[in-house]
Amino acid sequence: MKTNDVIIQFTAKIVFFIIFFFSIHIFLAGHYTPGGGFVGGLLTSSAIVLLIITFDINTVRHILPINYTYFTAGGLLLALATAAFPMFVGKPFFTHFFDYFDLPLLGKQSLHTAMLFDTGVYLVVVGVTMTIIQTIGEDE
Amino acid sequence: MAFQIILNFVLAFVWMFLSSNYTAAGFIIGFLLGIILLMMMRRFFTSRLYIYRIWAIIKLTLLFFKELVLANVQVLRVVLKPELDMQPAFFAYPTVLKQDWEITLLSSLITLTPGTVVVHVSDDAKTLYIHAIDISDVDEAIAAIHDSFEKAILEVSKS
Repeated sequence: MKTNDVIIQFTAKIVFFIIFFFSIHIFLAGHYTPGGGFVGGLLTSSAIVLLIITFDINTVRHILPINYTYFTAGGLLLALATAAFPMFVGKPFFTHFFDYFDLPLLGKQSLHTAMLFDTGVYLVVVGVTMTIIQTIGEDE
Repeated sequence: MAFQIILNFVLAFVWMFLSSNYTAAGFIIGFLLGIILLMMMRRFFTSRLYIYRIWAIIKLTLLFFKELVLANVQVLRVVLKPELDMQPAFFAYPTVLKQDWEITLLSSLITLTPGTVVVHVSDDAKTLYIHAIDISDVDEAIAAIHDSFEKAILEVSKS
């Protein structure tokens, strides 16, 4: 029974980009406003899940040939490296550093190593969520 | 259409470089001059001038808001009537639209105006199946949709 999904497919193609942009915005907004790595990662996964629901799991795998276990591993490594780095410069574990930099286009911004830790969280959340959903989805 | 818009932007930037005026005002002046140039040279383009299409999009938006208000009032009248004499019905709507975005837009417009909901698109994408809350004359409803939304969408997609 093949039905014509023209409406949801066209809409999902557009809405995917909006959700993805919003996830990046939420991910970057975690320091001073609500948001952060966890919510951003979940939103990114939900955008990909929307594609999986609209098309099917093999099509999305062909479009985005990503092994999500590497995401999880890379995120854990990044978080661990960020936490362990201060031990090499004589500070306690998990000490964060921050400073103000003049970036091109963005102007004066404060950069914080918590951002790197958050990136690790983001990657782990995306990896774990997508692994769970793909594993369950492929179960015959 | 896309080519004309890009050309207009390029002309605006050329104007900014020529007048050494790298501000938003300089860009806007260059853009308006570019529109005038495109109008002069419109016979060279294979498709319509893109301004007509933008005007058609604006008209479609205004039409949608008008229909939204009218249809909401209609549904309110159906809801507030003391006696239940509405006649719900499914009907098939034959569409002439071809592309995915046109069908999606038409379905969204029909669904967003209260009283009618698109429930299915046929497999060959030539028929929309619509449920209406209160319909006395099916042909009249089909004609109404055809004359308002479908015509406006065709106006937008006309090359």
